[in-house]
Amino acid sequence: MSKARQPRQTVVTGIGVVAPNGTTTEAFWKRTQEGMSVLDRVTREGCEELPLHVAGEVRGFDPVSLIEERYLVQTDRFTHFAMAAADMALDDARLGRADYEDAPYSVGVVTAAGSGGGEFGQRELQRLWGQGSKYVGPYQSIAWFYAASTGQISIRGGFKGPCAVVASDEAGGLDALAHADRSVRRGTDAVVVGAAEAPLAPYSVVCQLGYRDLSAAEEPTRAYRPFTSDACGFVPAEGGAMFVVEEETAARERGARVRAEIAGHAATFTTAMRWEESREGLAHAIEGALREAGCAPEEIDVVFADALGVPEADRAEALALADALGAHGRRVPVTAPKTGIGRAYCGAPVLDAAAAVLAMENGLIPPTPNVFEVCHDLDVVMGRARPAELRTALVLSRGLMGSNAAMVLRRPA
Amino acid sequence: MTDRLTYEELASLMKKGAGLTVDHREMENRSDTAFDEFGLDSLGLLGIVGVLENRHGRPLPADADRCKTPREFLDLVNNSLMTGA
Repeated sequence: MSKARQPRQTVVTGIGVVAPNGTTTEAFWKRTQEGMSVLDRVTREGCEELPLHVAGEVRGFDPVSLIEERYLVQTDRFTHFAMAAADMALDDARLGRADYEDAPYSVGVVTAAGSGGGEFGQRELQRLWGQGSKYVGPYQSIAWFYAASTGQISIRGGFKGPCAVVASDEAGGLDALAHADRSVRRGTDAVVVGAAEAPLAPYSVVCQLGYRDLSAAEEPTRAYRPFTSDACGFVPAEGGAMFVVEEETAARERGARVRAEIAGHAATFTTAMRWEESREGLAHAIEGALREAGCAPEEIDVVFADALGVPEADRAEALALADALGAHGRRVPVTAPKTGIGRAYCGAPVLDAAAAVLAMENGLIPPTPNVFEVCHDLDVVMGRARPAELRTALVLSRGLMGSNAAMVLRRPA
Repeated sequence: MTDRLTYEELASLMKKGAGLTVDHREMENRSDTAFDEFGLDSLGLLGIVGVLENRHGRPLPADADRCKTPREFLDLVNNSLMTGA
């Protein structure tokens, strides 16, 4: 039938956020558009003596009030975040069990993860070395694993459609959205998709101390200042976002609010920690995403930058924007709200995607906290949010291990 | 024997290890009902076996974690403890 041949457009119908600046989507957006920075001294027990001083911690998140005990005992904090965000996204999309229980194979789950279940893993490894192997709980076998959030969201919600886990660095957050988009275009009705991370357990922090680009600064307002001459690395964070994405026609038929279209995506790979080379990789990703979206450079109304905060990486990103967008690269407003919350690894680009959708809906570009003087040829939005008519947003992400990704999101027609 | 595993104790192990709230009298009344139906998965049962082995300082039979029902599990554990295997 001709209907099957029509291109299927993937749209975002639900957003759920657990972030350092808010554990609901509304709280996240309020503080994001206010430009409030919540970067602070690390307070997590066991981290006091470590040479990481500033992070974006999720505080005031109470998993016990949100998630059933049987799921809590067998999952790590990163999966608690993902399950809570997934619930919010499903509520936002008004997609309930009654909508899919007759067709459980029509809904899939995709997540990305880079850090895994460090807190759970540390507890069990301490039992291993403190008491012996017989004291390690069997849920250790699944809780630490990158795939845990996809699996548990699928089991808990009864989603039997295509499920996947993307392990491709920070940029995997965008790659997960692209994977879900492909699932929808191939026939899946809806996908619960996103990423959440919890990399601030002492064990996880120790793993990151080897990253040359981790900020060692002690002053929260000075620790993460991309695109400035004070750039001294990035601040890690926890949290993330989950979305419900659906096929547009079906979403509209069931009365869902269409919040954004996933218009285009591309990913490339350059070399770990060689930021100069990321210029070419990021530029190719941007060009690929624009091509898939059928979008001219001039149509991009706002860029959510990767903004690593390392001078060579910031320069490479500014040049990549110029390479891919031409003269428009110097004119388009660029923002990096993550300077107020830190980089939650795979959670970072999906939080940016959430912020991009909210920015388009509200006609407001959120600012880049703690950044006051830019030393690159970019129009970085600083200080306060900038009102603007936004139809198309470009979200960029790079991983420390060399992944680059770009995604174009559009306001629904 | 005080060492005998009771339904009450099993319910408390299921709560502690697998986060399940199961009424022990109900479990006793439906003791041939599969663990699945009480919400206990194979990893959950494996964890309970581990706790019991640590508590008694000796291994349970190798197939303890493959028991399908509370009755089957209690019989196996208690027989094993009685014989001192």
